[in-house]
Amino acid sequence: MLQTLLEPKMLLTIILMSTIVYITYLTKKSSTASDYFVGGRSFGWFTNGSAIGGDYLSAATFLGIAGLTFQLGYDGAYYAFCFSIGLTLLAIFVAGPLRRFGAYTVADFLAYRFHSKRARLAAVAVVLAISGFYAAPQLLGAAQILSMFFGTTYEFGIIFTCTVMVFYVGVGGMKGTTINQALELWIRLGAFVLMAAAAVYGGLHYDRILASINEFQGSITGTAQFAKDGKDVAFDGASWTGTGHYFPTFWQTISMTIGLSLGTIGLPHILLRFYTNPSAKAARKSALMAIGIASVFFFFAVYLGAVGRAVFLSGSASPEVMKDLVAGGNNMVIPSTAQALGGEWLLGLVIAGAFAAIFSNLSGLFIASSGALAHDLYATFMRKNITERERVIAGKVAIVILAFLYGALGLMVKTASIGHLVALAFTVAASTFTPIFILGIWWRGMTEKGAIAGLVIGLAVSMFMIFGSSMLPAFLQFKVPGLITVPVGFLSVYIVSKLDRKVPADVNEFMRRVHSKESEAA
Amino acid sequence: MAAEFTEYEYVAAGTVDVSQLEPLDRETARIMKDEMSTGSKLTIFYYAFIFMIPILNWHASGFMFSRMWGGMTYTWFITGIVAMGMAFTIAYVHTSLYEKRLHKYQGGTGASSAHSEGRNIG
Repeated sequence: MLQTLLEPKMLLTIILMSTIVYITYLTKKSSTASDYFVGGRSFGWFTNGSAIGGDYLSAATFLGIAGLTFQLGYDGAYYAFCFSIGLTLLAIFVAGPLRRFGAYTVADFLAYRFHSKRARLAAVAVVLAISGFYAAPQLLGAAQILSMFFGTTYEFGIIFTCTVMVFYVGVGGMKGTTINQALELWIRLGAFVLMAAAAVYGGLHYDRILASINEFQGSITGTAQFAKDGKDVAFDGASWTGTGHYFPTFWQTISMTIGLSLGTIGLPHILLRFYTNPSAKAARKSALMAIGIASVFFFFAVYLGAVGRAVFLSGSASPEVMKDLVAGGNNMVIPSTAQALGGEWLLGLVIAGAFAAIFSNLSGLFIASSGALAHDLYATFMRKNITERERVIAGKVAIVILAFLYGALGLMVKTASIGHLVALAFTVAASTFTPIFILGIWWRGMTEKGAIAGLVIGLAVSMFMIFGSSMLPAFLQFKVPGLITVPVGFLSVYIVSKLDRKVPADVNEFMRRVHSKESEAA
Repeated sequence: MAAEFTEYEYVAAGTVDVSQLEPLDRETARIMKDEMSTGSKLTIFYYAFIFMIPILNWHASGFMFSRMWGGMTYTWFITGIVAMGMAFTIAYVHTSLYEKRLHKYQGGTGASSAHSEGRNIG
């Protein structure tokens, strides 16, 4: 028993869990709704920038991007690049004004922009849809790691992770979540830096590994015993370094680029983070810091995906690692490569980092969704005149409800690709909240009906394009349907607003608020 | 604290036809114009770079997938290395220009502009 606990993967995971518990305990006192939902708006740009990075760089980045590069080659690297675009656009158009607006939840923005309960209700539905899409793959990653490295079942992994989330977010609120997210980001970055250093130290230089992969043709010996069909895995290096294999046409590539690049602006858990800054200036700096961290992260993810492929092709890894890379699917490339490069200790750090990624991102989603349920739905529609204390309790009850809801979704996506599921969540966000936030902040002519139409039509069209694409002609079947759904989202808002023409009488006051100048000292 | 919600919630501001909307005050209009102008220029530049990659990959693939450094092709270098730095560079230029404008506004009106909390309901 003691020996098992002292295994590096177990030890480092226990240390991470203990740190989370300790920080959560220290920050558990959330006496006001402001404390619970937006951390008392007390986090400076460094902490909040790290937390935004922690929130944004989910399992899809830590595990999924390297996995996609490992599997798809250049197309996977391009996928990673598209994930990296969005935060920059968010920093340019939304971060500062959103913080000046200052609220608790994403739905607050619409509710106060139009003084509308209907707009709030539509926003709640969209927040839950996006968060569900995003939470399911995070739970999938957690369950796969637990099952691969700790021998638990997939179902146990889902239940365990949801239970941790109930404690993590329910007790710590936004304060505990933010500090944990910031800390967890640096664990992940540390794991990536150490992996890259181990790869370079081992002679796996970027130019050399790409050359060796490119030149490889044929089958990978020793993989037959782990492959489902009992044959050695065949590989074509020239195809791996080319494009057009995952996104077979130019327009498929453009569609994915639009969906992913604009998706970040509409992600509720990322938008929410800008409310926790003390000022708009700090919000912009937080975004800049998060972008810097994300850029480094995406670079490492692509490089390590290529390292994983080189290790796999060389056949130099242990049979255990080869088995993981064949049977584990593309989501487990980072842990397997870490084990091949640095043995048990590096693997332990990577597992702790993977948990950190999943917990960080899930906690952000849980906070955003619990705000939607407790603050936007319960406190607005079911129990008016709710006290601060009751509002916080409602938030905690919402966490438990969400744990069941997202847990069920996690069970349904057992065989999916983490990276691709997250891409679909980005597309839904890009087609719903992105038009609302960009037009709502920069165009006085947006009306309540326009905004609601944008949310409803954007959500319906993106869901149809994702789940019902087989009913469409071949040229409209996109893996990531941003080319159709994003313009539909923007046009719905614009056309309905132009027809409606009824704007809030105080829209000028709203614009003054969100675009006011601010003190440099802020 | 909770009272602030009730106070603000769904104030009957009413609606007006968009054609009857008063023009924005000069200061807000200028801030919005400055910010939008900077943001648009940077975004157009960024998207030109973003779309350039697939366009060249599909229409000049011979060059883009030729080797530049070891096994690294031009397109891998642009996508896996340059593009990651580009996101930060654009955001950095935007933040610097924003702070420059902020300094200009402060210079014009002294230190009177208070720290904006926006619709502070917390």
